[in-house]
Amino acid sequence: MTDLIRNFCIIAHIDHGKSTLADRLLQLTGTISEREMTEQVLDSMDLEREKGVTIKASAVRMNYRARNGQVYELNLIDTPGHVDFGYEVSRALEACEGAILVVDASQGVEAQTLANLYLALEADLEIIPVINKIDLPSAHPDEVAEELENLLGIPGEEILRISAKAGLNVEEVLEAVVQRVPPPRGRDDLPLKALIFDSHYDPYKGVVAYIRVMDGKLSASDTLRMMITRATIKPIEVGIFAPDLRPTSELHAGEVGYVATGFKTVRECRVGDTITLATNPAAEPLPGYRKVKPMVFAGIYPVEGEDYEDLRDALEKLQLNDASLIYEPETSQALNFGFRCGFLGMFHMEIIQERLEREYDLDIIVTAPSVEYEVKLKTGETILIDSPAELPEEGEIEEIREPWMYIQIFSPTEYYGTIMDLVTKRRGIFASQEYPAPNRVQLNFEIPLSELIVDFFDQLKSRTRGYASLDYQFAEYRPDDLVKLQILVNAEPVDALASIVHRDAAYHIGQTLISKLKDIIPRQLFAVPIQASAGGRVISRANVKALRKDVLAKCYGGDITRKKKLLEKQKRGKKRMKMVGNVEIPQEAFMAVLRLRED
Amino acid sequence: MEPVPYSLYLHIPFCHHRCAYCDFNTYAGMENLITAYCAALIREISQVAGSAVDKLPVHTIFFGGGTPSLLPLIWVEQILETINHCYSLVPETEITLEANPGTVDGDYLRGLHNLGINRLSLGVQSANPDELRLLEREHDYFAVIEAVHLARNAGFDNLNLDLIFGLPYQELDTWEKSVNLTLDLSPDHFSLYALTLESGTPMKHWTDRGLLPEPDADLAAEMYEWAAERLDQAGYQQYEISNWARRTTDNVYRACRHNLQYWRALPYLGFGAGAHGFAAGVRTANILSPRAYIQRMEKSAHRQFPRSSATANLIEVDQQAEMGELMMMGLRLTNDGVSANQFKTHFGESLSDVYGKEIEQLVRQKLLEWVPFEDGLHLRLTPYARLLGNQVFAAFI
Repeated sequence: MTDLIRNFCIIAHIDHGKSTLADRLLQLTGTISEREMTEQVLDSMDLEREKGVTIKASAVRMNYRARNGQVYELNLIDTPGHVDFGYEVSRALEACEGAILVVDASQGVEAQTLANLYLALEADLEIIPVINKIDLPSAHPDEVAEELENLLGIPGEEILRISAKAGLNVEEVLEAVVQRVPPPRGRDDLPLKALIFDSHYDPYKGVVAYIRVMDGKLSASDTLRMMITRATIKPIEVGIFAPDLRPTSELHAGEVGYVATGFKTVRECRVGDTITLATNPAAEPLPGYRKVKPMVFAGIYPVEGEDYEDLRDALEKLQLNDASLIYEPETSQALNFGFRCGFLGMFHMEIIQERLEREYDLDIIVTAPSVEYEVKLKTGETILIDSPAELPEEGEIEEIREPWMYIQIFSPTEYYGTIMDLVTKRRGIFASQEYPAPNRVQLNFEIPLSELIVDFFDQLKSRTRGYASLDYQFAEYRPDDLVKLQILVNAEPVDALASIVHRDAAYHIGQTLISKLKDIIPRQLFAVPIQASAGGRVISRANVKALRKDVLAKCYGGDITRKKKLLEKQKRGKKRMKMVGNVEIPQEAFMAVLRLRED
Repeated sequence: MEPVPYSLYLHIPFCHHRCAYCDFNTYAGMENLITAYCAALIREISQVAGSAVDKLPVHTIFFGGGTPSLLPLIWVEQILETINHCYSLVPETEITLEANPGTVDGDYLRGLHNLGINRLSLGVQSANPDELRLLEREHDYFAVIEAVHLARNAGFDNLNLDLIFGLPYQELDTWEKSVNLTLDLSPDHFSLYALTLESGTPMKHWTDRGLLPEPDADLAAEMYEWAAERLDQAGYQQYEISNWARRTTDNVYRACRHNLQYWRALPYLGFGAGAHGFAAGVRTANILSPRAYIQRMEKSAHRQFPRSSATANLIEVDQQAEMGELMMMGLRLTNDGVSANQFKTHFGESLSDVYGKEIEQLVRQKLLEWVPFEDGLHLRLTPYARLLGNQVFAAFI
């Protein structure tokens, strides 16, 4: 039965043409008619289309009549395209037996190509390398083929050369999937084990789990159990992705499909969990489940206090589709009521921020991101904090530990120096280097996560004119000499401007921040002192001078309307500021912490 | 009760050259339109008068620009005749004309005076040649001295000089020199304007591109404070944020009655391209382009007062808005401010009922003060707040 099934994914670096290739495969197999065809069919979110990167996994079933005359069921699983979603990618890969590795004929192998490739090899997938965009003038497919040959040990002639955009050789890709990807090995007569590799929320069907049946079979009439969360359900329906949800009577071993669970939250239906039958459960869940752990934390506050409820509703809705987003209420003396949110990484945070602003039309302030610190107290107790505001007094602290990461930077060799400089300036430690291809270097470092989350990726891109790529994994917690950098405006500490920094950098960062704030905070009716303090000492100070002149000289020829408009504009600007004590602080100030390293 | 007399503003949008800081509705190189424009102006003046219920009393007329002194005497005469014919001018109506030094000679000034123009406003701006060049003014200070001399000889006993401060590169000492030199000319009235960089002007463009330093607001504040003290010593009394006047020998205070009309939120009619009016509960604004204005005024159908064929924009002012505008304008009057009794008489509600909370806070911040007058308490800016007016006005908008 499973002989005619092929489950595969496409892995690629951003912009190497993954979505375009997927579009072509859907067209070629007639899964989507020419009429229904839009670009990036599988990326349904506007943000995905705009950023050219898949954020949520999805799946689609295609029927393909191969040259040998047989009709195959091909399940394409689209994986998220960013390292922030590494765990989701790894689960989606577990659902496959093969992977098409797409490499741009001009760009060659990049960091995420490698990162995804290693994940695919770890999941024991059959790799089908494909060189894309061979029709571009800048293409050098021979060199890229050589890179891939070195990397994979696959003979150059077996590497497909295509143009997904022009539709060149795309059919060969489907043939390769049929011939080279092994059929799934599950057995219908074993107890049910179905892997959840993603989910989305549907207002009528509840949480819809995307599953790959490893062993056994299930139908809508079965009572199902989630082996990790121990939740039990009677599913609303089961079905396949065609590409819209289409109910079927049963799903068998080897098949990819969905279970509409009726769950109201994703908490009961976690990525990586195993679905089994309540009556005849499997002995063990599938391996590899991990509870998602946010790495980056930030406060999200409504600009207008009255939007608090809307913000909470929006976060709740986003979480329905995104179990990795966590949030809890937080109060800031400067920003009032908001939420402390945890994200998988900076990209994830950016996505959430943009979705709140665009899909939910909210005006929000996002505070400077923080990592989670382990703070060992003199009492022997260890606490976890993810906000500088929570850091206890220095006298109570024995030691502060912070998360360190392994990073791999992949770049043309000419940027070696500038990358070294960037990483070492941020407390990074060089580990090793490799030359996986001519003129290409892979630099391996260890670096504190806190140094990565502020603007590191942008700096890397700008220093290497966009050529370098980055991948990272959590390493461990390490102690360092860290202090809380506090900012006092008019002698009051502003919690939303505090940060935890290395003691050696405190002076420099404090000074830079103060000189920025001095320009950002508008002059008030009285002089406003601003200070940075670390370890109980003021390390930098400046004064925002009192406002002396703010009046229009002339009301010309009785044109009062214009004057009034100017005053109204001024008043609106004031309204958008936050009052801290009796000082008006513009939102921009809270973002200044983010942009400190630009200078 | 006597009807409130009106003020008339006439906009003359022509200039030989547009100054680098100017964003008024003015045009250089359109002087060939002057004849047709004046004819249109005359039509508008009578059109609006024709739609009023009664012949309106008028107590001030103001020729503003642009450069009104580019008008040939014959047109000034015809315009004034039309006004005299259509409106009822009160005795000693104040009739002002703005002039650029260098565009006027003795004959012209005598002619103006004979036609009834009794107040002349000269755009001096600075006595410093470098500053005048930066502003792209076409005159030098000698032309100012000569124009003042000629105006006095022509019989003008009510003379205003305009100065601008807070210029890029301007220092306290060059400003002091400008003020002192103009004081030597002994005008009856001073207008001191802080430079505002308006978008679309060459000067704004230069500063945006870094070709010119941004004016220093603190220095401008010092200039203002210095000048206020200097003018006070010289016998000029400040009556508005940017305006000072002195008394004549027979004790007539030379404040500009026309501008007081705006600041007291009293009615005025605006004629000409881009002119603004406020009467019968509406604010009107005319079409900006002189050519379009001339075309519009060729048709002269009946319009509801105070609209004309050239009205391009109309805003109805409800009581709430009018109260806000009265505060915003009235508080510019540094001596009189806003009279609590007059406010109550006009609107039927008291100042403290409408703005109690705002006023209380601004008084606490030492931006506003209550001062006793003959007709009761007046609310006005504290001397400290004169340069911070926007912080105060915004509270009432």
